[in-house]
Amino acid sequence: MGREKKNFSISSKMIFTFLVIICVGLIIVSYLFADLLAPVKTAVGNFFVPMQKGISTIGSGISDKLRLFSDKEKLIEENDRLTEEVNNLKMERQILIHQKYELDYYRELYENDSVYQNAEKVAARIISRNPNGTCDVFVIDKGEEDGIVKDMNVTAGGALVGIVTDVGKNWAKVRTIIADDSSVSGRFQPTSDTCIVKGNLKRMDDGYIDVEMINLNAEVYDNYEVLTSYISDKFLPGILIGYVTNIRKDPSELNKRAYLTPAVDFEHLEVVLIVKTLREELEGFE
Amino acid sequence: MFFVKSVIIIVEIIIAYLLQTSVFTGLRLADVVPDILMILTASLAYIFGKKSGALTGFLCGMILDCTFGSLIGLYALLYCTIGYMCGYAHVVYDETDYTLPYFVIGGAEFLLNLLYYVLFYFLKGDLDIGYFMVRYLFPRVIYTVLVSILLYRLINLNNNLFTRLMKKKNAPKEAIIFKGFDVVGGRRNI
Repeated sequence: MGREKKNFSISSKMIFTFLVIICVGLIIVSYLFADLLAPVKTAVGNFFVPMQKGISTIGSGISDKLRLFSDKEKLIEENDRLTEEVNNLKMERQILIHQKYELDYYRELYENDSVYQNAEKVAARIISRNPNGTCDVFVIDKGEEDGIVKDMNVTAGGALVGIVTDVGKNWAKVRTIIADDSSVSGRFQPTSDTCIVKGNLKRMDDGYIDVEMINLNAEVYDNYEVLTSYISDKFLPGILIGYVTNIRKDPSELNKRAYLTPAVDFEHLEVVLIVKTLREELEGFE
Repeated sequence: MFFVKSVIIIVEIIIAYLLQTSVFTGLRLADVVPDILMILTASLAYIFGKKSGALTGFLCGMILDCTFGSLIGLYALLYCTIGYMCGYAHVVYDETDYTLPYFVIGGAEFLLNLLYYVLFYFLKGDLDIGYFMVRYLFPRVIYTVLVSILLYRLINLNNNLFTRLMKKKNAPKEAIIFKGFDVVGGRRNI
């Protein structure tokens, strides 16, 4: 027994040293040659994604079942209300369709091609999130097989969520605009002044992220919309990012900065839309 | 024996990873997810010793690196080191003790988050450790320890069953040899 223990402790020290050397080696390799280890990442992702898909399907199944138990009367009442709303909306839709024809005509004249609205989109479900509990990175259940490639824009409810950073066979990793290392070039809706929208997880606790590099002379006010700009080489132009508040001078006195309330509720995001048009392709067409 | 043990541990790691990224992200409390992989690493280190702790930590960290990390090897280094350190608690391991392991797990999680702060915030120039402690560190440690109250029992139970099974498998062989000897001896006596 005593001899066994002695052997055990010696080998454990050796194993630990060996593992630490491997870790440090891998850190250096992955820092210097990021692409070299990408296949490993993809393989690990491909291994886990089917299981995560299963869990998320079961999870949504259970929550659907739980909802069945909710009050019947409540559902009937809601049904009545919704039927009424549908009728109203049908009316409104008729009017809007007419207006849309007009709008299309004017757009053609103005050449303000809203690429985003006409682009092909794919819906995807979020199957796993950052194990930290933060909402800066998540994995969706669509990948190469569904035609997803790196740098595709991800939206939800017509507003920007983030961008695809890694793609596997049937999964893709999305970095959201609130992540600390994310920065998006934006412009203010009525005035077309440009700015940079930077993610900030700390400020996101209060519901804001940062807007920087606003021109000192720019006439921007609270609650102006911020859209993705024409300058960016990765984000499609004209997607809503959020609403600006708390505009103030930068300590450097060279430009202004502000807070931005994202238009997407990142905490309760479940399904996202991936825009299948890439910014590069767009340049090609023009 | 070694092979079966490794397979069981690998399956446990996979289950822990799935729990952490897919199940507990839906059960967030105070916006944090309990660190199931750390619970597993610390528990196995406490039950089996430094070697298992370091190896389990390495595998857990590697999976995190490959799926959510930017640099491969960073989480692996953290988890491996902490797993190895938790292995020192193996000296006082007792399979009926359900108090000490929670302190081990809590301490491991605390250390992990502290190192995490140094690597990911401090080196970036974010010196606001108070914010990090209140927002992430303490909620994470508390939630992790709470979840570990259930999970450690499961891991320990699993381990006890496994050792008992292995003992049973080995036991009959010895008995047969002994009996045979006895019978032979008995005949000689006759």
